[in-house]
Amino acid sequence: MPKEVPLIDLQRKLGGNIGEFAGWITSMDYGNPLDEHLAVRNSAGVFDVSHMGRYIIKGKKVFEFLQRVVSKDLSKVNEGFMSGPVLLLNDNGGIKDDIMLYHVNENTWLAVVNAPNVEKDREWMIKLRERFGYSKEDVDIEDVTTKSVLIAVQGPKSLDIMDELGLSFVKDLKILQFVKDPEILGGKAFLVSRSGWTGEEVRSHGFEIWADVELGAKIFEKVVKLGAKPAGLIARDSLRLEMGYLLIGVDMNESINPIEARYWLPLSLDKEGCVGCDKVREFFSKGVEKFRIGLRLKKGIRVIPRHGSKIVIGDKTIGYVTSGAYSPYLKRSIAMGYVKSQYFYLGFRVGIEIRGKVYEARIVDFPFIET
Amino acid sequence: MGDIIVKTKVGEYIIKDDLLYTKTDEWVRIEGDIVTLGITDYAQKKLRYIVNVELPEKNSEVKAGSSIVTLESVKTVADVYSPFNGKIVEVNTALLDEPDLINKDPYGKGWIVKIKVHGTISKEALLTPQQYADKIKKEEEEK
Repeated sequence: MPKEVPLIDLQRKLGGNIGEFAGWITSMDYGNPLDEHLAVRNSAGVFDVSHMGRYIIKGKKVFEFLQRVVSKDLSKVNEGFMSGPVLLLNDNGGIKDDIMLYHVNENTWLAVVNAPNVEKDREWMIKLRERFGYSKEDVDIEDVTTKSVLIAVQGPKSLDIMDELGLSFVKDLKILQFVKDPEILGGKAFLVSRSGWTGEEVRSHGFEIWADVELGAKIFEKVVKLGAKPAGLIARDSLRLEMGYLLIGVDMNESINPIEARYWLPLSLDKEGCVGCDKVREFFSKGVEKFRIGLRLKKGIRVIPRHGSKIVIGDKTIGYVTSGAYSPYLKRSIAMGYVKSQYFYLGFRVGIEIRGKVYEARIVDFPFIET
Repeated sequence: MGDIIVKTKVGEYIIKDDLLYTKTDEWVRIEGDIVTLGITDYAQKKLRYIVNVELPEKNSEVKAGSSIVTLESVKTVADVYSPFNGKIVEVNTALLDEPDLINKDPYGKGWIVKIKVHGTISKEALLTPQQYADKIKKEEEEK
């Protein structure tokens, strides 16, 4: 049975159109996902992203454990900083998930994982804990997803909004830096960070607040009063696509490796001793058979390339689309997908077959927008 | 008399009392041999926000039961069917720039095409507002 996110009543009150994503009942949009998308780019939007999985990982060996579990070298992630996306790889170098780690202190890290994987990732970590011979005292992984809410305030006006929430100190935070236990609206949140998944975080225009349910509801409502447009998962999807961010289970999965996905950000290629890392190095030196690419349709074209749409040259199929959306910011449809590596034709025009009709699209790199 | 508002556990849907309906969730307004066609409030709410509309050519011939228009929402793609044999005499080109007129005003500015019907118009296959309300209730209860 799907579960309702804790703030569902508030979402409904604010006009949320409710739907299901990864076992959660939450808002897909608040009436007009294109306006919500544009509000984030031009002003500010606020998302309830409480469907994301959250763990507290602690113990004496937590750092060395995580170093062996994820693809990125965490030794450069200082206390009070997030890791940026890191990958959980399987033993074959395939992508299980991309997750975000927070370095709280020597013995405590937090993880935010994708909603479809909240149980699978924890099971995988526990399996690896056994494989590496650590005890529960060495590393304990607690799923705290349902006990709290996660709110993302994104867009050029987000800094003003944070200021009015009494969080003026956030202007001094670096991207991916966070502060524990900030006081907000007479309560204490768990943490506030300079981060997000819309692209605004890259422009230093993104913040996320992690709080208990009661305080989270107050914060969300206040942020809306301060001028942020409530935004749903549809806008979140088109925003992340403009940035070329991959969605797990859609644009990457266990049979795709990070070299094919060209997902270099979460990789430390020279890192030894992590699960799947040797395999990734092998793919890197041997070469891969397909690459992830961006596809930009002509201005004014609104037809949406769908997961599985063929990428073609004449009557030859050279790849397939993994996700697509209409971008109200670029006023055209965009997509990402994979092509066979001999067709990695950046800048050239190819076709996308959608419901029997072929639409012209240019192969481009990411992001689709300037940052 | 008045519009019918169907309330279900999923949502509320408006049904205009001066229109007739199809089993595939289109509404029709019959004026002489010209039929104006759109999709119902229930249909647009099920589809969600519409981002793309593929309209037929003016003067093209359409067959009863055939797909004449494709509506594309963020979530899915849906066909719109003609209930009659006839010829497309007008298309709502405003939808090309503003497909969400269908969401905002499904029975007004969100109309889709006008069809000149060949022969006499048979209302037998169409549903009255009350019959259409019953159909929605039944569908929602079966979920």
